[in-house]
Amino acid sequence: MNITVKSFANIRDVVGTGELVFDVNPGTTIGGLFDALKKKYGAAFDRQIRDQMTGAIVPFLILINDKTYRTTTDLGVSLSEGDTVTIMIPFDGG
Amino acid sequence: MNRNDFKYKGYAGKLLRVNLADGTWMDEHLTNDLTELYIGGAGMAARILYDELKPGIDPFSPENKVIFLTGPVVGTMIPTASRIGLYAKSPLTNSFFHSSAGGHFAPELKFAGYDGIIFEGRAEKPVYLFIDDGYVELRDAAHLWGMDTNRVQLELFEELGSDAVQIAAIGPAGEKLVRFACVMCGCRALGRGGLGAVLGSKNVKAVAVRGQGSVDVPDMRRMKVILDEMFARFNANPATSEILPRYGTPVLVNANNTLGLFGYKNWQDEFYPDADGLSGDTMRKKIVKRDKSCFACPARCGKFSIVGSGPYEGVRNEGPEYEDIFSLGSMCGHNDIEVVAAAERVCDDLGVDAIEAGVAIAFAMECCERGLLRKEDTDGIDLKFGRADLIVPLVEKIALREGRLGNLLAEGVKRASEKIGNGSAYFAMHNKGLTFAGHSARGMPGFALGYASGPRGGSHHDGRPTGERTGLVPRETIEGKGEYTARINHLNIFTDSLIVCHLTESIWGPLDVTDIAVRCLNVATGMNMTLEEARTAAERIWNLIRAFAVREGYRREHDQLPPRFLEEPIKTGPSSGMAITRQMLDDLLDQYYEFRGWDKTTGIPTRERLMQLGLEDIARDMEQYQ
Repeated sequence: MNITVKSFANIRDVVGTGELVFDVNPGTTIGGLFDALKKKYGAAFDRQIRDQMTGAIVPFLILINDKTYRTTTDLGVSLSEGDTVTIMIPFDGG
Repeated sequence: MNRNDFKYKGYAGKLLRVNLADGTWMDEHLTNDLTELYIGGAGMAARILYDELKPGIDPFSPENKVIFLTGPVVGTMIPTASRIGLYAKSPLTNSFFHSSAGGHFAPELKFAGYDGIIFEGRAEKPVYLFIDDGYVELRDAAHLWGMDTNRVQLELFEELGSDAVQIAAIGPAGEKLVRFACVMCGCRALGRGGLGAVLGSKNVKAVAVRGQGSVDVPDMRRMKVILDEMFARFNANPATSEILPRYGTPVLVNANNTLGLFGYKNWQDEFYPDADGLSGDTMRKKIVKRDKSCFACPARCGKFSIVGSGPYEGVRNEGPEYEDIFSLGSMCGHNDIEVVAAAERVCDDLGVDAIEAGVAIAFAMECCERGLLRKEDTDGIDLKFGRADLIVPLVEKIALREGRLGNLLAEGVKRASEKIGNGSAYFAMHNKGLTFAGHSARGMPGFALGYASGPRGGSHHDGRPTGERTGLVPRETIEGKGEYTARINHLNIFTDSLIVCHLTESIWGPLDVTDIAVRCLNVATGMNMTLEEARTAAERIWNLIRAFAVREGYRREHDQLPPRFLEEPIKTGPSSGMAITRQMLDDLLDQYYEFRGWDKTTGIPTRERLMQLGLEDIARDMEQYQ
């Protein structure tokens, strides 16, 4: 199924565009999408979302269409055909 | 105390107390009690100012005191241990205020042999303080008065025969007592709370420091072990290894706006459809030339920029930071990053807090559009949201108190709205006199509580947005947010006492004081503080600062948010409909006071809790206010 992935800053730098249509298997979860992106874009993508010491995905938010999800609790949420997933950059401070 | 009785390393071991009235100074040695109970930085300054300032004094009177203070880890190689803190009774909030900056001034002060400087009284004529490896001199600054902060630094490099001197200086705004005047250390701002104006009121133009000493730690092997761990953590974490170095704080423009949490047009909304013009991505492409670091910091979040086109072509700047982009850009309804960069440079040069200046302009724009300010009030200027061409001239007017409008806005939005009247207070977006930074209250209830209950009012460093913005805790609920906010207060005040940088809070916290921060303190000093003792110290300091505020008249009714946040939900974007109602705020405050052991009716710390924290003298003081 096709989903649209939106990103900015470092993640846009890695995937090369702010918006791309990505083909994933039906039933793919948020965590599965990250695995697929890692497979396609390699360690450069992984470094943007995962603590390289613990191996864990760090806390950040994801929008699926206009609804907010959390990497801390929602990696198992399934995506649907046509969803737009916006990856919020993992960021502290400000 | 005799210096030989002080047992801790890490500290230089002494403060310099300068009496400006008679031009004398003396060294004061730190005590074991003061450092064990209050650590350094904000904690130590709060204790000194609580003890030495009479309640109710005018912040601009000679009775006020200004303290520059480092912390025990500053000057070591512990990441981000670069920060200098500035402390006084604020002319904006009329209570204890602390502001800190990175750069290189703080380690230089330690290398010169001092943990901090206390200025008291008022000099008859402009002076600057020169510290050169323990040598101290108060020098005439008549020739520097009126100069902008950049020029002052260049002049002093020339005068002192070296550019290896670290300088903290006020600009014309501090001299003219603009209530949100800042102090610049290199290109870094001790920005908030108007403490530059307090220095100006004392006729102190600058502090120049040169030091060739070092910071002594008890055991270099233990230090190396913890440094290895800290740098590994920094290198492993995406925020500190990838995102801050590449985009710095401006990455937050797209992050917050995409969530619908980005203040727009004086907080009329929190979603700006054209925000990408202000984003970290656009800024990197258009104006950023290279990355810069503070002392001992691997994050390189500073961005050196040059405006490449338009009316401000050629303007150079370290920045702008996210908060400047919010206040001088989005809040004023335009998305020209080059205008923001130029305006922020003017803020730095003339010495005003860019957050306060931008929000004051946004406030005036809304007042004009609603007919609350007429052209005769604005010196004929037709203020409207979106007029990017007005931003730089208006910053100059405010910083120099030029004309009716400049003089009005130089008082800050709270006092300006009191002068304008006619319901303009509704549009003055502040708490306790300090305007809100660029992080949403309506979309993050725990953070809203931090704004409301914070001793500094609109500061984003009393509470923090990070836990709710990254999903560590849900942002849709108020449940548990009293304790959540109180624990973040403790993390903030503990790190502000070390002093290290909040931007790397994923390493230090981000939800409470953590073991790594305490271990850094112990390794730097030789203390044996436990995590529990550190959390108690943080709570002690927080209660002390609250007691300072109580003495100045603050109570529960001042732990507030402006009516716009309480009455208007976010209008558009992914967070549309989110709001903090009065009932929600009341519930949040109840939770917060209950966790803290403060009286729910008054917001005053209870005797029991103060006694538990070892604050017997404060408990006695508070009895008269119960």
